[in-house]
Amino acid sequence: MTMLANIADIVRENWLLLLIGQYPNGPVGGIVATLMLSALGIGLAFPLGVVLALASLSPWRALRWPVFALIYLARGIPLLLIILWVYFLLPVLIGRNVPGFVTMLVTLSIYQAAFISEIVRSGIQALPRGQMDAARALGHSHLSAMRWVVLPQALFNTIPSILSQFVSTIKDTTLGYVINVPELTFAAGQINNRLLTKPFEVYAILAVAYFIVCWTLTWFAHELERRIAASRTNVTAAGGASLSPARAATAEV
Amino acid sequence: MEASRPEMIGFNAVNKFYGSLAALVDVTEQVGRGEVVVVCGPSGSGKSTLIRTVNRLEEIHSGSIAFDGRDVHAAMSSSQLNRLRSRIGFVFQSFNLFPHLSALENVMLSPVRVNGTPRAEAREKALALLDRVGLSAKRDSFPSQLSGGQQQRVAIARALAMEPPAMLFDEPTSALDPEMIGEVLSVMRGLAGDGMTMMCVTHEMAFARDVADRVWFMDEGRIVETAPPDDFFGRPQHPRAQRFLSELRVR
Repeated sequence: MTMLANIADIVRENWLLLLIGQYPNGPVGGIVATLMLSALGIGLAFPLGVVLALASLSPWRALRWPVFALIYLARGIPLLLIILWVYFLLPVLIGRNVPGFVTMLVTLSIYQAAFISEIVRSGIQALPRGQMDAARALGHSHLSAMRWVVLPQALFNTIPSILSQFVSTIKDTTLGYVINVPELTFAAGQINNRLLTKPFEVYAILAVAYFIVCWTLTWFAHELERRIAASRTNVTAAGGASLSPARAATAEV
Repeated sequence: MEASRPEMIGFNAVNKFYGSLAALVDVTEQVGRGEVVVVCGPSGSGKSTLIRTVNRLEEIHSGSIAFDGRDVHAAMSSSQLNRLRSRIGFVFQSFNLFPHLSALENVMLSPVRVNGTPRAEAREKALALLDRVGLSAKRDSFPSQLSGGQQQRVAIARALAMEPPAMLFDEPTSALDPEMIGEVLSVMRGLAGDGMTMMCVTHEMAFARDVADRVWFMDEGRIVETAPPDDFFGRPQHPRAQRFLSELRVR
């Protein structure tokens, strides 16, 4: 019980640091920074991943090859190394300082987009060819067929894999620690350095915090999946189906 | 083509190869306006390939194909090709309904997204088309909740929603259970009765006999015989056609 009491004490004494870092005396940090980095990272990586997937399926080599090069890099090099590279090299290349938060966000987004693009590509290629044929026969352009026929199915079918990638994006924000992005792990490190004698308690708080964030996202994704599935098999009398918000967002013609 | 009909679809010396295999050989034929042509022949004879060249789902290697006066395989921008395709109704063997959309949404999608028809107007028209194929009651059902015959009727309504001057059918009943073939054929009969130009690859010989103006018989990529159904079924000329028909009768 003393350990739980210790944890409670640590949280009580450091909750503001864990929540927002040293803001307003420094940049926003703590779990708020982690959430911002995660949300922006996912928000950038997902659309970029879809665009990269479309490019990787393009008939033009000039679009395909850069995507595959990026994917091979992302697969072959640890994210930590890429972050260090960008952190040290980018300021030299562009001749000005780049905030750690921006470095982390851009690197993470592009890195995750590479993996998301492969998931989306597999989802697109798993659909029967007849779907594209039917859309083209009706006069849809390639992009219109993708937008209204192929992607709504492919993205839905790949929700579980895309969710895993989102969760791993959240967990990868911890690597911001090494380039001094003051996110949650960084705040915990500060606390641990100050207390010195309670690493287990400090890092238990950290683990629980990440678990809650990731679990929330997982729950939300499952809920979304359930709602879309329900909206696409609705047999009830006319009217009931079209009221579902998930359907309005995803299946709207 | 009967002399009185102006041309709707014209094949002119069309050739196509898959590697060294000749898929279409010197195909020259016309489908007249309002004419119903049934294309039949043994499997692998090039029927499906032929019909898929009309809206350029398949490319050809030489010759030309005209649809309503437009050269389908001429060099053109992709938006010109899209516009041309939007005017050619096509019905697939495997229906290819969009499974994430309801029956009504399947029929509305392309008028709204390709032609820019206002939603209310597209909806009105889609409901009328679903009524025409006898599926008003199923408008909110999703493809997975429909039988094969119902799915194919929705697919026909979806193609009709673009108001094509001609309809192409690629084995529309081959994937159906026997008891569902009739409902699809009766929709097609209705279309033919309304004067729709139709080109139809099918093994339904009773349909060919009743509805077709002419039967084209294909073998090894060539159209080897074209005749009105009475002549084709009563007095087939080509030995391959004679064998094909006698095998059908045995079955």
